[in-house]
Amino acid sequence: MNPIPSSGERLPAVGMGTWRTFNVGGDQYLTDQRTEVLKTFFDLGGTLVDCSPMYGSAAEVMGEALDTLNAREKLFSASKIWTGDGDATRQQDRESRTKWGIERFDLQQVHNLVAWQQHLATLQQMKADGDVRYIGITTSHGRRHGDFARIMETEPLDFVQLTYNVLDREAEDRLLPLARERGIAVIVNRPFQGGRLFRRFQSNALPSWADEVGCRNWAEFFLKYILSHPAVTCAIPATTSVEHMKENMGALYGALPDEQQRRRMAAYVAGL
Amino acid sequence: MVTNWLSYSLSDFLMFGPEVFLRLFVRINQDIWPWQSVAVAMVIAIGALLVRGDAMARRGVLLLVAAAWLWSGAGFLVHYYGPINLPAIWFGWAFVLQGALLTVAALLWPWNAAKTRPACSRWSTGVGWIMLVGVSPLVAVAQTGNSLALSMFAITPDVTALGAVPCMLLFPRRVRWLFLSLPLIWSLFSVATLWTLGTWVLAVIPGATLVLAALACFINPRWAQNPD
Repeated sequence: MNPIPSSGERLPAVGMGTWRTFNVGGDQYLTDQRTEVLKTFFDLGGTLVDCSPMYGSAAEVMGEALDTLNAREKLFSASKIWTGDGDATRQQDRESRTKWGIERFDLQQVHNLVAWQQHLATLQQMKADGDVRYIGITTSHGRRHGDFARIMETEPLDFVQLTYNVLDREAEDRLLPLARERGIAVIVNRPFQGGRLFRRFQSNALPSWADEVGCRNWAEFFLKYILSHPAVTCAIPATTSVEHMKENMGALYGALPDEQQRRRMAAYVAGL
Repeated sequence: MVTNWLSYSLSDFLMFGPEVFLRLFVRINQDIWPWQSVAVAMVIAIGALLVRGDAMARRGVLLLVAAAWLWSGAGFLVHYYGPINLPAIWFGWAFVLQGALLTVAALLWPWNAAKTRPACSRWSTGVGWIMLVGVSPLVAVAQTGNSLALSMFAITPDVTALGAVPCMLLFPRRVRWLFLSLPLIWSLFSVATLWTLGTWVLAVIPGATLVLAALACFINPRWAQNPD
């Protein structure tokens, strides 16, 4: 459990993303299957679920899964504002809440800095009015880090969301130290590079010293590298598989690597 | 800004995985059963009309192809594919528009003035078309390994576009491009999507449509050289 710096509220360090995985349209068979994935996530102690209006039908599917599981009291709900219309912040927040079936989001973020000046100003007002608990901004794939850093330096933010993993480490240079300095919680997206890390490295054996850093499989290896960074609050891997969800949630337990071990982990992967 | 866009790959724009996409074929077949028989009847009727080859038959072919655009656009694209992929909805309405335009063209075009082809040419066209459109649905079965995933003409967009393109040869070249633009654009979109999803077997259908549509833009059989 890691604290949100702006409030001290604690969050489980592994959350759940929904990019691609929960966009199943009206497919009842797949909706039921994704509901099992969500149930496993909650059963193993997860709370933070992240979604976006960009992800097709994912928000509706999430709402249906939450209905089935009757699990909204376990949920830390995170969504995004993704529209070029800077005046549509509240409307999109309302539409997303309706799909999720919740009264307010715990966290609402400006997606990929789209029309961020207007959206962020409205989100700040919504937070002051009690219409959302936390606010933030997101980026992914290492894009617009310069703009991102400038917003982190000048705007009052509870959360930032960015891409960080054992191969994509640009955030270590500026954004992660800045988040610590400014007291901003960090959500890490694409912890497995959208699954590419598994495709690239899964055929290789874990290093002989993997148990020293608390890792029993590659999912734990990749996630613990991220979670052991002192600025990181939570990582949000996405999966369609109950078994993979169990592996992901395993990263909540056991030892975390120290700084020297982290360097060793990065060097091992780079050498494969 | 340009470098920012260049940092995206095609997969960054796909909000769904291959499992969800391939399930669309199974779902639509389960939901519309037994109306697949109408699609089968349409395929046989178009083949038979191509063999007959007179003015009324040509009009009938194009009206049936128009119905196929309408059905696959409003059904598969708007209702099934659209909820997971927003551009599919736009394409769905483009298919509907194509169906409407083709209906008007089929009814208004002066088919009586068209040249009649020799019988052997008509038979090879009709039988060849049925074979093309009859075998194509099996590609989705080969991709998924599920016999419920048949992607049939008039029901699914890729096979509909593939079957529609040869029928556009009934029009003279100077108006044909009007009805070849959509299958070309759709097939480009579909190939890119299927390639990114890693469903390479399925990409054969829109790939073949692209080749046929490109050829159809240039070839000009005598029997398609209608008078003004």
